[in-house]
Amino acid sequence: MNLLKVTNLNKRYAQFQLRDVSFQLDEGYIMGFIGANGAGKTTTLKCLLNLTHPDSGKIEMFEQDFGRNELALKQHIGFMFGGVDYYAAHTLASILDVVKRFYTDWDDETCRYYMNHFSLNGDKKLKELSDGMRVKFSLVLALSHQARLLLLDEPTSGLDPVARDDLLEVFQELVEDGKKSILFSTHITSDLEKCADYITFIHNGRIIESRSKDDLIDAYRLIKGTLDQLSVLEGKLVSYKTHAFGFTGLIKSADITHPEKFALDVPSLDDIMIYHVKKENHDEKSDL
Amino acid sequence: MKNLIFKEFRLSIHPLFYLVSLFGILILIPNWVYFVAIAYILFITVPNVFTTNKAQNDITFSILLPVRKQDVVKARIFSIVWLEAVQLVVAAIFGYLNHIIYAKNNFLMDPNAAFIGFGLVMYGVFNLVFFPMHYKTAYKIGIPTIIATFAAVVFATGVELFVYFVPFANLAFDASDPAMVIWKAGAFIVGLIIFLVMTTSAYRISARRFERIDL
Repeated sequence: MNLLKVTNLNKRYAQFQLRDVSFQLDEGYIMGFIGANGAGKTTTLKCLLNLTHPDSGKIEMFEQDFGRNELALKQHIGFMFGGVDYYAAHTLASILDVVKRFYTDWDDETCRYYMNHFSLNGDKKLKELSDGMRVKFSLVLALSHQARLLLLDEPTSGLDPVARDDLLEVFQELVEDGKKSILFSTHITSDLEKCADYITFIHNGRIIESRSKDDLIDAYRLIKGTLDQLSVLEGKLVSYKTHAFGFTGLIKSADITHPEKFALDVPSLDDIMIYHVKKENHDEKSDL
Repeated sequence: MKNLIFKEFRLSIHPLFYLVSLFGILILIPNWVYFVAIAYILFITVPNVFTTNKAQNDITFSILLPVRKQDVVKARIFSIVWLEAVQLVVAAIFGYLNHIIYAKNNFLMDPNAAFIGFGLVMYGVFNLVFFPMHYKTAYKIGIPTIIATFAAVVFATGVELFVYFVPFANLAFDASDPAMVIWKAGAFIVGLIIFLVMTTSAYRISARRFERIDL
């Protein structure tokens, strides 16, 4: 079952545009939504929830049109934007007491379980929690109302490596039952190498890739060679960097014709992102 | 809606703001401009509620909830209207005490039923200016407060001048002639209707503007 399906989402601002953004997420998976700062990650997530109004496009959640069923669908999703810093002077218990009233499927037992599981004390104020604990509190809010789709905007940014790793383990635990899915945006691609099943890569408001992480990595290779070899390959490379010994570039695996002639390496998600961004920036300059 | 109103009074509006309504006690000052006593809510409560909520990221919190954007506006306007109503009830109590304590009429308008009616219209004017201006951005508070307060003060000044200089208005809305009670009661009822119409319009315009904002 598709928990989320986005089709041809468009949103135009004076300086920026989301162009035909399309991707989908099945139940039971974690999708990483990657892109450089300003690529359109947050705008896309906000459009999904109608917090920002898209100019066109279709958004379906649980195979239902989001626009027509917004209130009902919001009962089954949890989302987090821009850090958990609301009502920081209030206790977690008082925030829970308010939030629980809005959800028909709120379960106090589940809430208590996750509060204990994440070592959160209801008597503490939100401002007394570390950034990592705040994200966990946000997850408690989502999980207590049995959310099946979690949309999280940069939940790991600002966390130390230990807290990040801890949180990623939590994400993996959550999807284990095969019923929940998580879409989380990040520019820290190492997070995704640890836990993501799918990757959607956005740059300049356009989706560059959206497929399983393994397929994505298999689809590209880092290629190294001499400057003479570069002239032969240049048209096939996504982009490249030259240095004193030759060049290093990214190439689609399907475009490699003589693998024995080059040094090939498996790219990281960072490599894929960086070379694509380099290509887009180069293309934009050429257009100018 | 009732959950959002619960949220307003549990998280967003500190109970201390109820104390502002005690400025109604100023109605016991002899020979004074009693509109000032009921205007503190506009000077203190409304801007502080919105500023505090901005500092506490209320919008970020509210949009996490499964609610319509228009209901967020409705709950907030309802909460402020509730505080305005509390203020006028307190004013009415001290107005009655004023009537008992002082044998002589006030130099300016007396704190009677007509005064409460005009007070309602003053709040209606404030609401109609403040809320739509604020919800155009859901961010700006200073300029909407200044302009809305100015509009309310101009209205109240106009009422005082009208009642002071127009003999029939003075007789109907100010003097304690028992035969004129019907005019005072009428002013209260008409004031209430105008307040409801203005505040409902304020909500409709604000909700439409807030809906259009890309958060």
